[in-house]
Amino acid sequence: MRKITYAEAIREALIEEMRRDPSVILYGEDVANFGGIFRVSAGLKDMFGDERVFDSPISENALVGGGVGAALTGLRPVVELQFADFLFTAGDEVVLKAGMWRYGHGGAYAIPLVVRCPSGATGVGPEHGQCPEAFFMHAPGLKIVSPSNPADAKGLLKSAIRDNNPVLYFEHKLLYATRGEVPEGEDVLVPLGKAAIAREGDDLTLVAISAMVPKALKAAKRLAAEGHSVEVIDPRSLVPFDRETIIESVKKTGKIVVAEESYKTLGVGAEIGAMLMEQALEYLDRPLRRVAIPDVPIPTAAVLEAFVLPNEEKIYQACRELLA
Amino acid sequence: MDKKLKLEIYRKMLLSRRLEERIAELIKAGQAGGFMHPGVGQEALQVAAIAALRPDDYLLYAHRGVAYWVARGIPIEKILCDLAGKEGGTNHGKGGVMRVVYPQLGVLGESGTLGGCFPIAAGAGLSIRVKGEDKVVLCFFGDGTSNRGTFHEALNLCAVRKLPVVFLCENNGWAVSTPTEKSTAVKDIAMRAAGYNVPGKTVDGNDPEAVYDAVKEAVDRARQGNGPSLLEGKTYRLWGHWVGDPEDYRSREEVEKHWRSDPLPRFEEKLAGEKILTEKIKAEFEAEAMATIDRAVEFSRSQPHPKPESALDDVFA
Ligand SMILES: Cc1ncc(C[n+]2csc(CCOP(=O)(O)OP(=O)(O)O)c2C)c(N)n1
Repeated sequence: MRKITYAEAIREALIEEMRRDPSVILYGEDVANFGGIFRVSAGLKDMFGDERVFDSPISENALVGGGVGAALTGLRPVVELQFADFLFTAGDEVVLKAGMWRYGHGGAYAIPLVVRCPSGATGVGPEHGQCPEAFFMHAPGLKIVSPSNPADAKGLLKSAIRDNNPVLYFEHKLLYATRGEVPEGEDVLVPLGKAAIAREGDDLTLVAISAMVPKALKAAKRLAAEGHSVEVIDPRSLVPFDRETIIESVKKTGKIVVAEESYKTLGVGAEIGAMLMEQALEYLDRPLRRVAIPDVPIPTAAVLEAFVLPNEEKIYQACRELLA
Repeated sequence: MDKKLKLEIYRKMLLSRRLEERIAELIKAGQAGGFMHPGVGQEALQVAAIAALRPDDYLLYAHRGVAYWVARGIPIEKILCDLAGKEGGTNHGKGGVMRVVYPQLGVLGESGTLGGCFPIAAGAGLSIRVKGEDKVVLCFFGDGTSNRGTFHEALNLCAVRKLPVVFLCENNGWAVSTPTEKSTAVKDIAMRAAGYNVPGKTVDGNDPEAVYDAVKEAVDRARQGNGPSLLEGKTYRLWGHWVGDPEDYRSREEVEKHWRSDPLPRFEEKLAGEKILTEKIKAEFEAEAMATIDRAVEFSRSQPHPKPESALDDVFA
């Protein structure tokens, strides 16, 4: 199968969905002329014209809120924020409008909105490097996806655009250049709410999110060389969340580690822990371990950033501890 | 503006320019990371405006370059340590060069999200009022940033409470790849002052004297308790948005045209014409700038990286 990058996969999904459905539009800061600051939407303005692909002012509230208004009235907007952190800048529009408009009005409207959120720490400090998925998992009414590879990046974005609900689509900046096999075909979708088993195993369940998945796979490989069989699960969607796949895995392994590039307290790992307490306590024979950022903002200097960020070694050590 | 002040502004513009050039070299050579947005071409506006402040006034600079810090008198070696993420800077590697901070001179820091500065400036103005001080807040921002909603909220708040805040837009014609006229409905950002019933004024941002006079007037007004102003200096970003920007969104001709009104040689010629700046003084300033920068680079190289576990410090007071 052909291999393309994660960024190309996103671009391809945008092109296919815009061709397929004239109600899909794309806007955000520098997305049109420049093709996005990460150049993911390069060329789309020339393909679809300025009415459907345009550069916006630096106005995050109007970007996301405008997306809600356009979605209420029949468009399927894809809004790009330059950094996932700016979800907080547009907090009212994200949490209270996109998340609650439909519900508060008794289901009168659907909100088919996608917000593209480039995430991940790249040495640029506290306000440009977060993976803030968990903050928004707490907010009702928002779907959340975090693809870890090019095929999922494409398939999940297509599903998100076709979905009738607001979807926060987290694209990890350090994954943009990674290559992988991506099936061709306009209707190859990856469903929202279905986890992937990235590697099968029997001794320990390792759940990893977004850019943590390749790191988890490397850790699992090292552990395999030492005789441990680790199952790596990539949830792909955080809302809706595929609990089944994780519970089934834990039934088999009895041990679980969760690796995420976010703050530990009330992170994705905390939710998984609570879910297992409620639904699978009897299958756990060791305590849950979370590999996450200690509860501090992400510092800028490389040595500090490396200290707080989860990495392959930290994941490996957490697994080793449970496997001992 | 007296002769001494003119020379001081020129000296700082020159030092800022040379520092930007050195930083770009360091970044290109892979010797500095950072997240540097060069301010080359905007030094006149930045240095002259800050010259209108008192040392105890507050400053919220924007993300565009080093001249704000040079103008305020923050030691160059500290700036370079922040750039390198070393100890010896102002923020211990936490915020990098985009979060230089200097409480002793009222430098409050920088918002990573554009437009975060406006409400903070209003709050500093509020604090001045409540404490009965006669300080002033100077808040810099780009033309693109003026389209954030926080701009509106903060200006209105400052206007109704008559807070001593001077908002100064650096209108450089671009926000990354987006030209101002494509993102902004008014030609002059200062026209928006009418919406808040405050004075608004647009000046040539590459003319240090015009900038100084306008900022001085607004600062005096604020200091006397007459409330905020909205100022704008027209200027141009001569370099890319960041070091390494492909700049394929604007024409070479446009950029070259603006190099012809580069504020540095322009002010140099003016001061030479007024017999204020002699070849001798100019050579001294150049030599001093280079020596200062060399020393600062050496200092930053000699400084240690922060201890990894110090990443956990500074969260709570
Ligand atoms: C809320 C927010 N949106 C977007 C950005 C990304 N960003 C950084 S600088 C910049 C352009 C700013 O333009 P302008 O205010 O005109 O200042 P200039 O860069 O031209 O000096 C953008 C979009 C950001 N940091 N914060």
